[in-house]
Amino acid sequence: MKFLYMLVVWFVITTLLYFMISVYSRSVRREKLEKQWAEDHQGGDSDARTAYIENGMVEYEHGFRKKLIVLVYVVPVVLVTAILYLTN
Amino acid sequence: MQKLKTGVRVIVILFAGMFLHYVLPQHDIARITGTEVIRQDFSSVNRIFFAQAESGNVDGATRDVQFISVMRRPTYLFGLIRGAEANDVMIYRNEDTGWIWPPYFKFDSRDLQGEAQENTSTAEAPKWVSITHYGWRNRFFTVFPNAISIKRIDDPNMTIIPWFNIMFFIALMAGILFLRAVWLQFRERALDPTLDKVGDEWDRVEAGVAERQSRLKRWFGSLRGK
Repeated sequence: MKFLYMLVVWFVITTLLYFMISVYSRSVRREKLEKQWAEDHQGGDSDARTAYIENGMVEYEHGFRKKLIVLVYVVPVVLVTAILYLTN
Repeated sequence: MQKLKTGVRVIVILFAGMFLHYVLPQHDIARITGTEVIRQDFSSVNRIFFAQAESGNVDGATRDVQFISVMRRPTYLFGLIRGAEANDVMIYRNEDTGWIWPPYFKFDSRDLQGEAQENTSTAEAPKWVSITHYGWRNRFFTVFPNAISIKRIDDPNMTIIPWFNIMFFIALMAGILFLRAVWLQFRERALDPTLDKVGDEWDRVEAGVAERQSRLKRWFGSLRGK
């Protein structure tokens, strides 16, 4: 019973963390793209800029870095298993 | 206001520090002098300083708790400095922490009791052990630290490096810096633009009001023949 309770708490916390990190990561990525564009083209037309950034974002959404955020779910399980093994 | 803020900050840091001091593992170099099982009738004061019944059992109002008595080298300054002589009496409780809190996931308290009995020794022929534990000893409230593991050591003068705590504080700092970065990013990208927009809107409303007021004033002025 306690175990289920722990699982629920763990799941809620890691899910919150997952969303927080993914929003943050997306925001950082977008900012990077914007800065890159500003560096490459002084001004430039806004349609091309939007296309460039949206393209970059789509690339990110399908990229490997985004998948790394799943580690938020994996790492605690590994840690708990390690501690369980070490204490008992 | 500034004083109040500092005061609140000091209290928060103090409580966080006490919390970590209670929960994080510490090591004692000791000689086990005996083990006991004593029934504990918990009061509302010391109940939170004990864990729950072993994970296969059900929790009653009172229960038997295993204890380990040792003579240990006294520790000072959060365990960073250790006294030379093992002349400090310490009593540990030996309870399962189970699945929840604190997250030591200890289920082997009975086995640990067996290990403690195996390593019981006299002052004349001492067997030295390193005892990992968390928690506080308080004589007035009958509170004991919880022993997590017992390891035989050869040299009672050895230095123990608290690797876990070092890693923990590094991870804690990294976590705090990460949260700060998330917050700054959020403020820069989401909060400030929105607030700017709201601020602009407000400026426009204020400007409109001022405009209408001045028109009203002019009209009043015209009535009074100015």
